[in-house]
Amino acid sequence: MLNPLAAAPRRARRLDRAIAIAGGAASFSTLAVFGWIVWDLIRLGLPNLSWHFLTGEVETAGRSGGIGPVLVSTLLILLCCLAVAVPLGIGCAVWLSEFVRRGSRASRIVTGGVDLLASVPSIVFGLFGMTFFCQVLGLGFSILSGGLTLACMILPILVRTTLLALEGLPADLRPGAAALGLTRTTTLRQVLLPTALPGILVAITLGVGRALSETAALLFTSGYSTRWPDSLGESGRALSVHIYDLAMNIPNGSPNASASALVLLVLILLINLTATGLTERWTRHLSGTTS
Amino acid sequence: MSQLSVSRLSVRYGPVKALRDVSLEIPKGQITALVGPSGCGKSTLLHTLNRLTDLVDGCEVRGSVRLDDDLEITEATTDVLALRRHIGMVFQKPNPFPHSIRRNFEIPLREHGVSRANIPGIIERCLRDVGLWDEVSTRLDRSALQLSGGQQQRLCIARALALDPEVILFDEPCSALDPLASAVVEDHIAALRGRVTVVIVTHNLAQARRIADRLAVFWVRDGAGTIVETGPAANLFTDPTDPDAARYLSGERG
Repeated sequence: MLNPLAAAPRRARRLDRAIAIAGGAASFSTLAVFGWIVWDLIRLGLPNLSWHFLTGEVETAGRSGGIGPVLVSTLLILLCCLAVAVPLGIGCAVWLSEFVRRGSRASRIVTGGVDLLASVPSIVFGLFGMTFFCQVLGLGFSILSGGLTLACMILPILVRTTLLALEGLPADLRPGAAALGLTRTTTLRQVLLPTALPGILVAITLGVGRALSETAALLFTSGYSTRWPDSLGESGRALSVHIYDLAMNIPNGSPNASASALVLLVLILLINLTATGLTERWTRHLSGTTS
Repeated sequence: MSQLSVSRLSVRYGPVKALRDVSLEIPKGQITALVGPSGCGKSTLLHTLNRLTDLVDGCEVRGSVRLDDDLEITEATTDVLALRRHIGMVFQKPNPFPHSIRRNFEIPLREHGVSRANIPGIIERCLRDVGLWDEVSTRLDRSALQLSGGQQQRLCIARALALDPEVILFDEPCSALDPLASAVVEDHIAALRGRVTVVIVTHNLAQARRIADRLAVFWVRDGAGTIVETGPAANLFTDPTDPDAARYLSGERG
């Protein structure tokens, strides 16, 4: 009689191997796409990159000169955005996770609103920002308007990721803190937030990435001006807008578009690395391996 | 004299009755063990004693729990933060804060207004109490999570002791530990007799027999947990009257 156990494992093993190979192929394709983008940017952009390019004025609509004022405007827009979005986002997540019952009406309404906000296309945020911040609040085309519009846009990702970090904390921390007679404020400030900090840094990093790569929401809010910004009330061109303009509207703009894109990529990479480094240091600090 | 008097206590979680009509005297300075099969309300009673039931949505407590014949614990106006300073708790899974050993003491001590100058002395005294001082005195600033499970649980006992409680509640404190660590932790709980009132939930009858002065046997009756027998541990193990309790304590059932 045939041994019924003999045939199956071979088939199963073959399937295992096939799945491993397919998975590996998928991973390498993903990497290849990223590699191709980076290679293309380096090939086209690196020749134009120089210290002068990073610090110089924008000349002939970007075809020559540098991106100094654009970089400064980008960072100012980002700072405005984070200054508003980070406290709001963390506050909202803390409220949802620690102060309202999960599944309660208040919690459902707020999370529903946040998720809805996440699904709004960025061009709609741009139109909203133009109407509300630029016109109704009278901020005009300005770095402030752009930053505030971006803040609205990255709020959902901040709230959701911070919420995930808080809800992922060990379940017995809260009763443990309560049993020691700690107030909710102390529990939050001394126990929960420090423990969730790596997750919160991830939230901020994701938000920064989203904000830096945004074009549509900034087109109608922070505007196109390539002058050095004197204040937050002035129009200032973000790097992504600059790339868009060079690539789409300026004849022979694409070499400098590539160079600017390379700068943007490196900027995002640097911010990611900084966040990872901070997270590792904090984790080591909590687990006590440094002392 | 009773440190805690529970009388006619009923607890429900929404539609689920967890405890019905439980009365229990917990004498000062002694070790009272709550035993019985899972799901018959032992932990619920424990959580009622320090109002940790407040953290559970839809939890409804009726009846009376009095501390020192004086403070009505179940009263809504009771200051739970102060209450929990008097009645500490150690959980099933060791749950030190993921900070340094020192911070684990500083956070609760500062919260309860102990001045910084007094904290090092308290840390040393409490860590000595649980036999941990010699093991960790040189690494107080390392993470508590680097300690072994048994050490973490002793740290949690020390942290509870730091607030000078009159009562400490233990919710199956040894069930997540290996037998050797469990024995060490058990010895330190037994050593609290006379200084602190101990209420301990345990599934380990041998442990209850070794350390308990008094025993309360829980059982599910008519769909809710209740106490079917209570008394001095020695009497109960040799001569129980309730048939369920008798079979449970002799190891035949449960």
